[in-house]
Amino acid sequence: MASDPMGSQLRRILSIFFSLSIILPLSSPSPTMHNNNWAVLVCTSRFWFNYRHMANTLSLYRTVKRLGIPDERIILMLADDMACNARNNYPAQVFNNENHQLNLYGDNVEVDYRGYEVTVENFLRVLTGRHEASVPRSKHLLSDEGSHILLYMTGHGGNEFLKFQDTEELQSHDLADAVKQMKEKNRFKELLIMVDTCQAATLFSQLQSPGVVTIGSSMKGENSYSHHLDPDVGVSVVDRFTFYTLAFFERLDMYSNASLNSLFTSYDPTLLMSTAYYRTDLYERPLNMVPVTNFFGSVMKTIPTDSAYPGFLVAHASEYAAISAETETARVVLEDEADHSKTYDQSEKGLQHTLDEWLKLLEGKLGVKDPEVLVAYGLGSMVLLLTISTWLSS
Amino acid sequence: MADDTSAAAGTSTETGAGTESNLRTTKPGTKRLFLTVSVLISFLLGAPFLLKSTEIHRSPLPSAAISSLSDHLHSNPPSFPCHFQAIFLSPFKPSDSSLSLSVAERIRAQLSAQSCGNCNFTVSVTVDSGSSCRHEGDAASAACLWECGGGGLVDAIEGRDDQGIDELLLSAVNGRTGGCAGRVYSIFVIEGRDERVVIGKHRHAWMVLKDLDDSTSVVSMIGTVFGDYFMRGGVEKGEYIPVGSDGNVVLSFSLLNSNPSDWIYDWDFQRTGEVLLAPVLEALAPVANITMESQVLYHAPKSSISYWDEKLEAYVVNTRDLPFFVNSNEWHLDTSLSASGRSKVLQFVVYVPSASECPLYIRTPEGEMSKTNAFISPMWGGVAIWNPPGCSMQSQGIHIVRDVLPPQELEKIIEIFIGQLRLLFGLNSNYVEPSPKFKVLASEKGFTNWELDLLYRQHTCFNLLSSLSTLQSLSTLVESLPRMIVMDEIGKQVELSLEAANLAESNISLGINNASALSSIRARALAEDAFFHPSIMSISYSSMEHYFAIYMPFFAPVSLHVLLAAVKEVKRYFAERSKYLTFRASKLKSS
Repeated sequence: MASDPMGSQLRRILSIFFSLSIILPLSSPSPTMHNNNWAVLVCTSRFWFNYRHMANTLSLYRTVKRLGIPDERIILMLADDMACNARNNYPAQVFNNENHQLNLYGDNVEVDYRGYEVTVENFLRVLTGRHEASVPRSKHLLSDEGSHILLYMTGHGGNEFLKFQDTEELQSHDLADAVKQMKEKNRFKELLIMVDTCQAATLFSQLQSPGVVTIGSSMKGENSYSHHLDPDVGVSVVDRFTFYTLAFFERLDMYSNASLNSLFTSYDPTLLMSTAYYRTDLYERPLNMVPVTNFFGSVMKTIPTDSAYPGFLVAHASEYAAISAETETARVVLEDEADHSKTYDQSEKGLQHTLDEWLKLLEGKLGVKDPEVLVAYGLGSMVLLLTISTWLSS
Repeated sequence: MADDTSAAAGTSTETGAGTESNLRTTKPGTKRLFLTVSVLISFLLGAPFLLKSTEIHRSPLPSAAISSLSDHLHSNPPSFPCHFQAIFLSPFKPSDSSLSLSVAERIRAQLSAQSCGNCNFTVSVTVDSGSSCRHEGDAASAACLWECGGGGLVDAIEGRDDQGIDELLLSAVNGRTGGCAGRVYSIFVIEGRDERVVIGKHRHAWMVLKDLDDSTSVVSMIGTVFGDYFMRGGVEKGEYIPVGSDGNVVLSFSLLNSNPSDWIYDWDFQRTGEVLLAPVLEALAPVANITMESQVLYHAPKSSISYWDEKLEAYVVNTRDLPFFVNSNEWHLDTSLSASGRSKVLQFVVYVPSASECPLYIRTPEGEMSKTNAFISPMWGGVAIWNPPGCSMQSQGIHIVRDVLPPQELEKIIEIFIGQLRLLFGLNSNYVEPSPKFKVLASEKGFTNWELDLLYRQHTCFNLLSSLSTLQSLSTLVESLPRMIVMDEIGKQVELSLEAANLAESNISLGINNASALSSIRARALAEDAFFHPSIMSISYSSMEHYFAIYMPFFAPVSLHVLLAAVKEVKRYFAERSKYLTFRASKLKSS
């Protein structure tokens, strides 16, 4: 019964070698085309005093939509308890600046996962694509091998973890594992992870998958700070890292081609009061050649259609004029046959049904379906043994 | 006697405690020994039950079979047997002995990189011209050789139109190449005055040449038809597989009224579209299970800018602005009811511009006006712009125009959509003929039979490789988490997927392309279902430490006590027994 750590380690190492030797020749690097962009925006806090995290996420949502990513390719996860909170002085409005110029909750905000649905499990399910059958299509991350994904997370974090809704944590190895599985199934071509929490850079320290570029608002041991307090609303309304990110994007539009390098180098440690650390060792393209619209905007490769498929209509007309007369009678005959086979099926099904019932009854009596039954048998035999022995020795 | 022994035992222990400790007069009692040892034994007997009841249910996955099949597929990729035969219906004397070898060489010379789904081809040449009948080259089997006696075909061909010749040759091929009719590609060579090459919509082509003695040109023409068209579909670019991982594709047709206050158009897509597209969907059934749906949307403006062109008196959208044409914020296209999570949805949009930008044309990258006024986005779908008639006239009435898209216009739009569908599947929308004498016939199914064969081959190969790599990832994932529950459903899906993959492979070698395509779709769908099963979540498995933490707080103290008690009792019993035995021995000695 004792666990065999050495044995399991050995097995793990062997399986890794085995898998590498299989996977490496399997992953033939045929360069796929960049087709579409997706954005997964996650706010992991709830409660009124975390107003700024929701404002962060909504600001980024607005930016990404303005630059062209449609709602059907954005997964927005929010606790969504700010706009209609009893403490909100401006009901149904969420601001990210004390000048109140922009209402982030104005119109066309589509939240995919709200309230208590924002859990670590749902987040990992979104990333890996393993949903229950009942989850609607709008809650799936339907990316393919040509997608660029922007993953933005904000909330309270620490050394190698991120706190979800005050009850659970997302660990850095969980995130790394999910990204690895995404890469194995080719669910993305490139992934940009942007994290705005305390000690954000530790969250992606365990990543190993290629094609991932990450930036965090602070390094290990540093905190990320909010930008300013809004005296009217009563809480801080935006974080510094996100504030400066938004300032960078306000100058851009759909057609611009500012590079990712200019975004990453625009962060000033003295203004942020922390060091924005980014990791490019897993990413092969040089950052100054990657336009930010590759992740934050929408791209659609278009090819003008040079011609229709001529002759289709003519061929169709000639083919179907002749056959239409014959198919009428044929269709009638086919329908009869279908009916006949259906009734035959049903009678057979009746017999099969009773047989199944009988088998199930037998199985229930004799078969070992339940481990509970085994335990009950075991306990019973123990008690039996004890009583016999006491009776014998009396 | 019983109370005597008990009294004696009582006194003997007292005396034993006081005086000599290695003698006792009575046999030691076994009651306590029995008790403790039976408790210990019952614990030991119960331990397997405990282990079994707390065991993690892991349905066994056939990892060895998966890795062997995937190795096999990678070392020898699936090769589809194709047989090309050239049939000379006019008298022909080849200058070099082996025409078939030169044709095969020509085809091989043009083969680019080994892409998935290539043909493993064999070439044969037959000369069947009335008097003589000569075969040459290799044939897959004797049944695939052309039966001679087709000399009357040349006369029958004379004077017919291309469609008629195609049907005539089809019946000839079906009649004369017995069992291989679906796997053989033929080209008929006839000597005649006006040179033409026509590729039919089944699996044959014919060419009329003036001079059959010029063997290099004959070889190059035959090689072009076989290599570029029958084997590669006339395309150079890479393949697109716009099929969802569960083998379903939803074609979503939308009519967008950009500004309903100018005019509102409706269409009768149900009748016209379904009738026209039904044969196409049927032909593509081995590639994907395709369903169609249609909708009409209002208030759907485009998001790019168009410029007024004085010369054309129309609004023009440049190629540079095409990527921003689709206004995803206002075009609510993704409202499909029938598409499940893993199906692929291809959008086909008809855009009716508003009065302020009508008529609207697209300019191609070369600077000319697009002939179709349409564009595609790979893996997404296509857009076609339809300008309402009379919109260039400035006098608009106050009343709103409500009209139905005329059926002829709808049919023309559907022709454009078929061309776009072909582009989305990686073929050319239409063939740009290399010379005016070259012609490719169109099929009412949207794809000719030889193009369908190419699609089946490509998709089968892709599906097989994809499903094997998915199964491989799944088995490494399951192995790396030794305490993760693997449900029976997953095991079943993996088994069925492997079975389908094996079936597909055997069908490939037999040359049954559509059956192998269907099996490969099934294999991929099942493999993806198994991999994306919702119960495989790495955060919900119990580690060994977890297991210990649950059971040890009870079992550690209890088992300690039980063991100690048993050990102590056994030791005491044997000590007492030895005392009793020495007593008996001393009694025997003394008596």
